[in-house]
Amino acid sequence: MNVIEVEDVWKKFMIPHERKGSVLDAIASTLSLFGGRRSIFEEFWALRSVTFKVPKGGSIGIIGENGSGKTTLLRLIANVMKPDQGRIHVDGRVAPMLELGLGFHPELTVKENIVVFGAIMGLKRNKLRKQTDSIIEFAELKRFEDAPLKTLSSGMQMRLGFSVAIETDPDIFLIDEALAVGDMEFQQKCLSKFKEFKNGGKTIVLVSHALDLVKEFCENSLLLSKGEVISFGETETVVNEYIRRVQGP
Amino acid sequence: MLEHREVIWILVKKDFKIRYRSSVLGFLWSLLNPLSMMAILTLVFSLLLRVGIRNFPIFLLTALLPWRFFQIGTMQSTGSIAGNPSLIKKIYLPRHILVLTSNLASFVSFLIEFTALLPVMIALGMTVTLHILLLPAVMIIEFLVVLGISLALAALNVFYRDFYQIWDIALQLGFFLSPVFYDPSIIPERYQFYYSLNPMTRIIESTRKILFYNVLPTLFDLATPLLTALILLAIGYAIFRRLEPRFAEVT
Repeated sequence: MNVIEVEDVWKKFMIPHERKGSVLDAIASTLSLFGGRRSIFEEFWALRSVTFKVPKGGSIGIIGENGSGKTTLLRLIANVMKPDQGRIHVDGRVAPMLELGLGFHPELTVKENIVVFGAIMGLKRNKLRKQTDSIIEFAELKRFEDAPLKTLSSGMQMRLGFSVAIETDPDIFLIDEALAVGDMEFQQKCLSKFKEFKNGGKTIVLVSHALDLVKEFCENSLLLSKGEVISFGETETVVNEYIRRVQGP
Repeated sequence: MLEHREVIWILVKKDFKIRYRSSVLGFLWSLLNPLSMMAILTLVFSLLLRVGIRNFPIFLLTALLPWRFFQIGTMQSTGSIAGNPSLIKKIYLPRHILVLTSNLASFVSFLIEFTALLPVMIALGMTVTLHILLLPAVMIIEFLVVLGISLALAALNVFYRDFYQIWDIALQLGFFLSPVFYDPSIIPERYQFYYSLNPMTRIIESTRKILFYNVLPTLFDLATPLLTALILLAIGYAIFRRLEPRFAEVT
């Protein structure tokens, strides 16, 4: 059974050009939002006909150069963006770990952020108190629990994001380079947690430039370049293909 | 909407906290602001220009409070999408919830302001009658007006931040085009129809009838803003839905 199915997905972005035209131009481009034509935007296809599937309990790595569409793909799976063409089917609850943190609010304290983002991600209020403690413990932020988030280092914020995501017990984890800012000890802690999840039948999608991590962790991988799938299959083969492409003939 | 009520409530509390964080007087400002406005306007219109309206402070407050909710509710929510890029880009949450919670936070603030200033108004000579039971209906109609406008503004503001400035100016104009410091009867007959298109006209008039004149608002007083509210909601929601798919790309 597949928990993620991505079928012939295309995603287009409009790159705005800083050509500040007349008021009429601005009005025309505003109208283009509503389906009109004339605009000062250039089309850019971030994903072209991407197709792949991830079975339940599978783990897939997404690799490729900067701007190849990895994060866009993750955002589509997280339902934060919609594809222009094609179909994405996701079965189960998703915990997106896109970039740093979960979008925490800098002015709120660690505890308050846990309440807000725990609720958004589906933690139930009656269990929250107990879970807050275990989130803070896993993130090792006991001393900072009443400090505004803005006073935390980026690594600490990432740890908090991870801990909240883990506690929501999702079916699918989407991870975008987030591990990179954690120290080695915390990375190890997360990795063993992920292995535990994987064994428990959860699905993991990992976007990373750390090829060793991808090799260690994902049985399958997807190589993207300029929005197109270059290869999809066993991680070893795909990573080698990527290295070959980078090094050139 | 119901399945999200827990999240909505938590987000309202968050909004509320953030508004008053790092300020010493906090919520007290919400009371000082309308009171000082009342004092200034009373000074100008009652003492200097000698507008002959009895108990002018109450006449003002019964309009200033609903006007403040209209102003703050729509202004705060205009940035509720554009000002939350991390939330929009990282987690899926039905986006209209952000506009709704912003409006709800302003609404709660309005209710507290109103309750806190009620004793002040009574001390200044306002009589409370049973008509006040109709006031919640007026407030809810105003909430719907605010929500409709906010949905449109919040969505448009994602693409063009100009809408924030445009609305700011529109509100300044609206303050004078609503019967805050004068009686609507001073508007010439031939403009009355256009004048009453402003939903705030009937909302302020209804509030004033209940609290100041101690009479019941007419069906017309309530039905017109309600109808306007529903039309604004339909338009606002349509604009919001139309623009929503691209929020994460632009914020």
